[in-house]
Amino acid sequence: MKKFGFKKLGLFLGIAASLALVLSGCGSSSKSSSSASSTKSTSQSTVQQIKKRGTIRIAVFGDLPPYGWVNKQGQRVGYDLTLARQIAKDLKVKPKFVQVNANNRVDALNSNKVDLVLANFTVTPERKQVVDFASPYMKVSVGVVSPKSQPITKASQLQGKNLIVTKGTTAENYFTSKQPNVKLLKFDSKTQQFNALKNNRGVALADDNSYLYAWVKDQPKYTVGIKSIGPKQYIAPAVKKGNKSLLNWTNKEVTSLNNKGFFDKDYNSQLKPYFGKEVKPSDIVIK
Amino acid sequence: MAKEIVKVEHLEKFYQKRHVLHDINFSVNEGEVVALLGPSGSGKSTLIRCLNGLEPYQQGEVTFNGEKIVPTEKNWQKIRQKIGMVFQSYDLFPNLTVLDNILLGPVKVQHQSKEAATASAEKLLDQVGLREYENAYPRQLSGGQKQRIAIVRALALNPELMLFDEVTASLDPEMVRGVLNIISNLAQDSNMTMIVVTHEMNFAQQIADRVLFLEDGKILEQTKGSQFFEQPQTDRAKAFLDSMDF
Amino acid sequence: MAHSGINVLFEGRNLIRLFGGLWTTVEIAAVALVLGLILGVVLGVLRTFPSRLLRFVLRLYLEFFRIIPTVVLLFLFYYILPKQMGVNLPANQVATLVFALWTAAEMSDIVRGALISVPKHQRESGMAIGLSRWQLYRYVLIPQAVSLELPATINLVTRVIKTTSLLMLISVMDVINVGQQVVEANNQKYPTGVFWVYGIIFVMYFVIDYPLSWWAKRMDKKRLERANG
Repeated sequence: MKKFGFKKLGLFLGIAASLALVLSGCGSSSKSSSSASSTKSTSQSTVQQIKKRGTIRIAVFGDLPPYGWVNKQGQRVGYDLTLARQIAKDLKVKPKFVQVNANNRVDALNSNKVDLVLANFTVTPERKQVVDFASPYMKVSVGVVSPKSQPITKASQLQGKNLIVTKGTTAENYFTSKQPNVKLLKFDSKTQQFNALKNNRGVALADDNSYLYAWVKDQPKYTVGIKSIGPKQYIAPAVKKGNKSLLNWTNKEVTSLNNKGFFDKDYNSQLKPYFGKEVKPSDIVIK
Repeated sequence: MAKEIVKVEHLEKFYQKRHVLHDINFSVNEGEVVALLGPSGSGKSTLIRCLNGLEPYQQGEVTFNGEKIVPTEKNWQKIRQKIGMVFQSYDLFPNLTVLDNILLGPVKVQHQSKEAATASAEKLLDQVGLREYENAYPRQLSGGQKQRIAIVRALALNPELMLFDEVTASLDPEMVRGVLNIISNLAQDSNMTMIVVTHEMNFAQQIADRVLFLEDGKILEQTKGSQFFEQPQTDRAKAFLDSMDF
Repeated sequence: MAHSGINVLFEGRNLIRLFGGLWTTVEIAAVALVLGLILGVVLGVLRTFPSRLLRFVLRLYLEFFRIIPTVVLLFLFYYILPKQMGVNLPANQVATLVFALWTAAEMSDIVRGALISVPKHQRESGMAIGLSRWQLYRYVLIPQAVSLELPATINLVTRVIKTTSLLMLISVMDVINVGQQVVEANNQKYPTGVFWVYGIIFVMYFVIDYPLSWWAKRMDKKRLERANG
């Protein structure tokens, strides 16, 4: 009886193995979707390897207009996307976009799903431990939006009051650590936080200032009363920790694009329609 | 001397620590009908199930047709085609029609052609008067009809030995006679070798050439059928017959 | 802001994109189910075999996939295993693999349960006419188990289809992910678009899942009627 069991165990392992084979087999023959890359695994993606492969895999957002989103024609567009396509063009390879969300940007790099992250990735000391950031291409700081009828223009006006934020944002982080007397009302999404402000759940709402400018453009009753609070935050491309080759190349690329005025053009085409006149390119673009 | 179909020597069986069969020795000759009698729990069913390998035994030998059986699953599987068995619970396969129930063994196990097997199955169905039900499903039959089909299913393999394990015990009384008649006919007309476990004493008296009386897993007596019911040799058997009230 | 939210569905290629996302969902679910259900039947049969070691290993497999939440499995197979073992499958294949293995685990338990609830006498009757173990399963046990297990299997299928909504977490462009894109891209113009987008996704899942669960209920009722009739 025992012997019989072992024989069947072998059979089972065989089936499991063939299942794995079948899966990988049908995967490679099927068309690769826009998100999933079917590129062969490599532990490092040096510039040379990317060129040889002919594609660069870039992590982008799909739901954060105007940085990384998908328009109604189904095309990926936004400030980050324009940069991504330019980078691919300068590398003379095709871009392959992998859509990520805020929580899996680091994992996507570390598990070698992507070569580069261009997903509104703010440089922080914690993140620097796990990925390598190239030169920043954007700066943001926290702003505070409030009704025009009862505008908040100084942080002191927030003491002891409810301030609306989205979980995991720089704004939440800043107020938690630097302004402990402000009561925070935290939400999961941008949509929820703006609804909360409209329903007067808090006296004001804090988020990246660029994002707030975009929002007030369509909301004449609200104003960004505090344009900038706390330290400036930088947004930069990120590569897998230790990928010196791609890091150096990206640094040079950002400098060169800056010199050519690429980011001003990118700003004007992707961000300006959203932000309106209150914002100047120099508030966002790094010179 | 008649041919010996089954011979059991020094068979011992345990359920974990419990000793359920003690040093069982007997043999059955070709054409002989042996009744296994005894009170409930005496080990009759366990013994009959050891004879086609449904129950493993720990010691002893079973010889079938002069060949000692090496008790592996594979060997038993081969031998079971030669030994038909019918159980107390009439277990036709509910997912198959009557005919497919009967054909499963001959066609899939013995690799007979479907035509030949169907022809002989229909002949057997005629004999038990159930030919018209060949395309019915078991749930459409009464208990007695199912049990008759179960007998046909066992016979379809052309067995050299039939084992009947209390085949009428869960039938309604009016169904019992029909099933017993089939078994009697099988003994008399076809001269089938069989071992029968039963509580129907009249029936046992009528067909048994020999009686094995079991109690507590031991064979207490082996007596000719005619003699056992008139003059049992042990007090235990006498008490048993008195209690059966037939 | 006179835009009615429903128009968000008819802007550009939005609706086609949602159906494209649905197709991805259906494709992954279908391949995973076919592979998973077949493997599950095999494993379920093996789990009724007498070998203790085999049963233990398969039990471990079942518990692993049952206890660990599907989200964690997806992350494990997509992000963590590649880092540790250098196996780097694309997201759609990881999704198919995880769902197939999960389906197989749950299916093995359903099949095992159905097989052991086939009465012991059925097994013995089969053995008594000389069926081999394989024939016993093929002609007697599995056909009876299937009718017992079918409703549970269909329920498993609907559960698997529903759970594909987690796939967006590993960058699969399934219908939920596309929906999210459409919602966020149109938030300013159509603040109520979110209800319409998720509304149509609800309808899509309903159209796929409801007939299945209706079928499961009907089968179960029929089986009970037959058992009691």
